[in-house]
Amino acid sequence: MTCDRRSFLAGGSAALLGLMAAIPLARAAESLKIRDIYKTQDEFSTTAKNLVGKRIEIPGFMAPPLKADASFFVLTKRPMSVCPFCETSADWPNDIVFVRMREKLDAVRFNRPIITQGVLELGVAKDQETGFVSLVRLVDASFDLV
Amino acid sequence: MKRVLWATALASSMCSTAALAADKLPQAENPYYTAAQQELQLKLADKPNTNKAKNIILFVGDGMSIPTVTAARIFEGQQRGVDGESNSLVFGQFPNVALSKTYTNDAQIADSAPTASAMMSGVKSNNGTIGVSGDVARNDCAAQLKMPTTSLAERAELLGMSTGIVSTAHLTHATPASVYSHTSNRDWESNAELPEEAFKGGCKDIASQLVEWPAGDGFEVAFGGGRRMFMDKTMADPEDKGKTGQRTDGRDLTAEWVKRYGNEGAFVWNEEQFKAIDPAKTKHVLALFDRSHMEYEADRAKDAGGEPSLAEMTEKAIDMLSQNDKGFFLMVEAGRIDHAHHEGNAFRALEDTVALNDAVKMALSKVKTDDTLIIVTADHSHTMTISGYASRGNPILGLSEEKGDDGKPYTTLGYMNGPGALKDELRADLTNVDTQDPDFLQQALVPMSSETHAGDDVAIFATGPSAYLFHGVVEQNFIYHVMDYAAQVESQLAK
Repeated sequence: MTCDRRSFLAGGSAALLGLMAAIPLARAAESLKIRDIYKTQDEFSTTAKNLVGKRIEIPGFMAPPLKADASFFVLTKRPMSVCPFCETSADWPNDIVFVRMREKLDAVRFNRPIITQGVLELGVAKDQETGFVSLVRLVDASFDLV
Repeated sequence: MKRVLWATALASSMCSTAALAADKLPQAENPYYTAAQQELQLKLADKPNTNKAKNIILFVGDGMSIPTVTAARIFEGQQRGVDGESNSLVFGQFPNVALSKTYTNDAQIADSAPTASAMMSGVKSNNGTIGVSGDVARNDCAAQLKMPTTSLAERAELLGMSTGIVSTAHLTHATPASVYSHTSNRDWESNAELPEEAFKGGCKDIASQLVEWPAGDGFEVAFGGGRRMFMDKTMADPEDKGKTGQRTDGRDLTAEWVKRYGNEGAFVWNEEQFKAIDPAKTKHVLALFDRSHMEYEADRAKDAGGEPSLAEMTEKAIDMLSQNDKGFFLMVEAGRIDHAHHEGNAFRALEDTVALNDAVKMALSKVKTDDTLIIVTADHSHTMTISGYASRGNPILGLSEEKGDDGKPYTTLGYMNGPGALKDELRADLTNVDTQDPDFLQQALVPMSSETHAGDDVAIFATGPSAYLFHGVVEQNFIYHVMDYAAQVESQLAK
């Protein structure tokens, strides 16, 4: 594990972190930028569609979590200091990613660049635990600081 | 003996001076020298345009600081593959330039509400307030009703001129709102934000003020974003699936607009409808292209309903407004230069400044500066700086070649504060970071969720009738006085 890419798998033990660092397969194979997920606001890009079901990584920022002990967060293209879902009238961008973590979340500040790894899902779905409806998701996810 | 030596030395010196005088200036053929000589001749030929302005177009780059203009001209040139540093934006070639002092009645550093109001009403007022006197404090509904100011557009309507507002922000945002509204709080964009006390006191939200604007026959042109302020929360948004309007009073202001103007009016919300507008037939158009602000220029192509560019909106606005022989007043705002800066994202600020430049270019192709005063300015500054010692031709969004004392490289563009600053962490190493990526945030010093405005002067670029009056360092509210003088608005109304 390098000094500038600290894993933030909350709840993970030092042993687990060490193990992950030693297994290159834990790293995502392909990277997708949030702005490349959509062709238009109404249509997913071919690139994104081709990555569905694969473990990929998406760089971005963590929006302030709704709950302190949540195991999910919203990944944004640029920093958003406002909590999503807290304010219905907020000017939230369309291109956000719902991230369902493998473990409980150890939140970082809204403007800290991160890279999230997880399995890509596209299409309308309701999160069973929270009831939140999303269009783009990374599940079984973890993240690193950049 | 000494006298002889002195005389000899003097003679020698005189000969040498004479020889130099006879020689051609060594730098006379230097391209910098010859280009400056050509510019000198152009300036010497300048004559003040003292015509009456039939039309006025005021372009406002929201938050377009002088470093933003400089960086944008370098950016625009480098994008075209030409020398960025010596490149010129269209409005950078305007003959008249002044500096504008942007402080407000109660603040050293302004927000867009009183600064836009200063340009539209001729007086400074307090931060957060629009179209009211400096005696009105923020949130004071009673004072707002007693002490409104009147905008140049309202006076122009009395003369029978046509009027228009174009903005990439909400049409209820501070800059466009300064053309038509009077409010002690810029945030009262829809009735949902208007406190009960203000409502009971007789104060109206900004969106309703737009559609009910009593000046003359109202706006011919109102193009921008902010659709949710005009629709009730029970109404489904036509573009954003699952989203609704914001109003809580059951009103559909888009329908009220159409009802007000009958066959001469139209409401449109997408690019296709916008393109179909016939300027000869449709006299009053309300266009709301986004539920919130319109997209940044960099993201516009992905908009679901399609959005016209600022240049396309300017073109259509001029086509509609110029149907009136009595002339027009048009305010065009590149409203999201400011938003990109607040996000600490120089790329989008520069792209939107280039979009403004394209809109100015479009305006110049549609009107004559013989009878149209065109002003390009900003309401306030931002904290972005252009720093370091980058070589000529270095990408403006790139890394400077040298490093900081921490051994890490830094970008030419940076911010004093904002989301680009990490909290309680060392400055990130940008060695392997693509700083020219559209989503890159320039580093900043003070961590803040939103980068702030800045208090330095902004520029005023002008061409056309009375543009020659813009020189020196002037108060921001002076802009109103030149526009009024150029179009002889008050002098005609006094007759």
